[in-house]
Amino acid sequence: MTTTEQKPDWEEVQASPDFVLLRRRLRRFVFPMAGLFLVWYLLYVLLADYAPGFMSTRLFGNINIGLVFGLLQFVSTFVITMLYVRHANKNLDPVAEKIRNEVESRGEEK
Amino acid sequence: MGNVGNVWAVVAIALVAVATFSLGYRGSRHASTTQDFLVARRTVRSRRNAAAVSGEYLSAASFLGVAGLVLKDGVDALWYPIGFTAGYLALMLFVAAPLRRSGAYTLPDFVEARLSSRPLRRVSTAFVLVIGVLYLVPQMQGAGLTLGMVLHTPGWVGALLVAVIVVVNVFGGGMRAITVVQAFQYWLKLFAISTPVFVMCAVFIGSGGTHGGESRGLAEPLPPTFSAPTSIDVTTPVTLRVVEPVWLSAEGRVDGGSARGPVFWGPGTHEVDADTKLMFPGGAPVPSVAGTPSTNAEWLTPTGGGTSDLWTTYSLIFALFLGTMGLPHVLVRFYTNRDGKSARRTTLHVLLLLGLFYLFPMIMGLLSRLYVPELLVTGKTDAAVLALPGKFLSGTLGEILGAVTAAGAFAAFLSTSSGLLVSVAGVLSTDILKGRVRDFRYAAALAGAVPVVIAVFVRPNDISMSIGMTFAVAASTFCPVLVLGIWWRKLTPAGAGVGMTTGGLCVLGALVATTVSGYTGNWAPWYLQQPALITVPIAFFTMILVSKATQRSVPADVNRFRLRMHAPDPLGFIRDRDVARFGTAEERARLAEGRHRR
Repeated sequence: MTTTEQKPDWEEVQASPDFVLLRRRLRRFVFPMAGLFLVWYLLYVLLADYAPGFMSTRLFGNINIGLVFGLLQFVSTFVITMLYVRHANKNLDPVAEKIRNEVESRGEEK
Repeated sequence: MGNVGNVWAVVAIALVAVATFSLGYRGSRHASTTQDFLVARRTVRSRRNAAAVSGEYLSAASFLGVAGLVLKDGVDALWYPIGFTAGYLALMLFVAAPLRRSGAYTLPDFVEARLSSRPLRRVSTAFVLVIGVLYLVPQMQGAGLTLGMVLHTPGWVGALLVAVIVVVNVFGGGMRAITVVQAFQYWLKLFAISTPVFVMCAVFIGSGGTHGGESRGLAEPLPPTFSAPTSIDVTTPVTLRVVEPVWLSAEGRVDGGSARGPVFWGPGTHEVDADTKLMFPGGAPVPSVAGTPSTNAEWLTPTGGGTSDLWTTYSLIFALFLGTMGLPHVLVRFYTNRDGKSARRTTLHVLLLLGLFYLFPMIMGLLSRLYVPELLVTGKTDAAVLALPGKFLSGTLGEILGAVTAAGAFAAFLSTSSGLLVSVAGVLSTDILKGRVRDFRYAAALAGAVPVVIAVFVRPNDISMSIGMTFAVAASTFCPVLVLGIWWRKLTPAGAGVGMTTGGLCVLGALVATTVSGYTGNWAPWYLQQPALITVPIAFFTMILVSKATQRSVPADVNRFRLRMHAPDPLGFIRDRDVARFGTAEERARLAEGRHRR
């Protein structure tokens, strides 16, 4: 692992369109998703507190809407995780790979 | 209550302890350098790592606490498992991959590397220790409860036993050994909680869904009933709410007067003093601790309690969602991933494993409403998982199942405590001591001793509730530092320091206030029970405001560090910091001239 001679221009890499694209893609996914998720939670809590009648509607047996809603929260957590992993593998990793190649080849030139 | 099969349970717990020891020992034969101890050389595969993460994460709060809260609070308790799971989502979205790439070992490492500030490192070290100890205390108390039910020993015995086993195991091999142990313990816990559930469900359906014709449907607007004559020893004073009038017999002090013989309780609340024995006839309606749903219908529907319930629930979700990323023992696990990609894959597996596990405590909670409602009277609902099998099935089968759950509970304390101890000891030994293997061992012993002392002297609360508070501390200190540190260029050391301290002190203040008020007549306002919804935004805003005011001290190499976090993994020019820190003498010498920082 040689290190001393490789000094990529950090500012330049930071400003490169690829890096900006990478960060934008990541941010565009992460923050709206987290927001969506917290709102989805809030919806459950709000319904539970202000529409208990709706939440205790029986579906079958002892199962009511509240219970189903609660279990759905698990499912949605998992779905979002899968979406993210797919997004990262498809849209983030290739760009990251490209930056890496550029930085390394530039390092070799110097 | 002493229905849990004594002999079987002792054997099962002993087996768990022996298995933990021997796995730890086998792993430790290969562990020699400090790096082995701390991050298992970063070569742990993602699937095993996921089992290890889950094994470590499923603590007493998950194994005992969730079922207990379902028994007491019903559907509302769903929030704990949902929040515990969703925390991993936040962890993955915001921090997992960048953090792994940052090359830092521990939270203080990250903070120092990102902000180039030694004093800040001290602050974060302090919070790692606080969180570690706060999280260890309920584990020890849970161990005391479990051993108390099996052997009728006082609480401190179980706490001490767990501490000793864990410290000795960590002595032996540190993290590498622990990874194997943790993965093993996930499967052990899953087995221990699912087997009784499967057997009980089979019996439940086989017998037509009723138990001696006495129990009531879970949806009726009436309280649950005792399925057989039941006597209950009340050891701490309690206020009970009665919905249906009930005849019982009591020995001790009830409603402010001494009682000996039959007592009639009309609807309303009734006070029971410590050291009172209550005897209920079979079929009698069960009174429950004031403040919890008393009828089954109320229990089965989510709360309709207006602002304070809304607040408490959402605040809890907030704490769990954002706190997971700030838990030292969870984060240190992610460092054992090979790269950012495998860190993501690990998270996905973890979510699956956790979701699978949590199905079972919830079913346990539902069943215990039918079969062990007497726990509602004492409020010690954390014992539900342990007491249920023995009550449900009489004879040897019930005893064996009881033994299996007791062993699973023990596995829960052992695994979580090991993980916490490794991370706390890691931070203690590298930051306060000199970072040699010997120091790691001293640190482990110390980190094991302190929580035992606290566990013995502080009155136990509901396990899950105490854990909720620990998550609030993590969410108000490390969550803002991590999120802003990774995503916001302009974070300054001063901003991070002031923000963390403010957030942390707010939660600790609330914790002290609620603890003290628990002893002196419950004067603390409701929003202090779970303050995350205020303290997390406070921490974020303080951090942002102070950073804006001190823009000149933005660390010089922030760009380099950010590129490293957000760019792909094995960048040729990025060395792992750990080699510089912990590597062998020649590795360090080779790197010395190429160092960019420190």
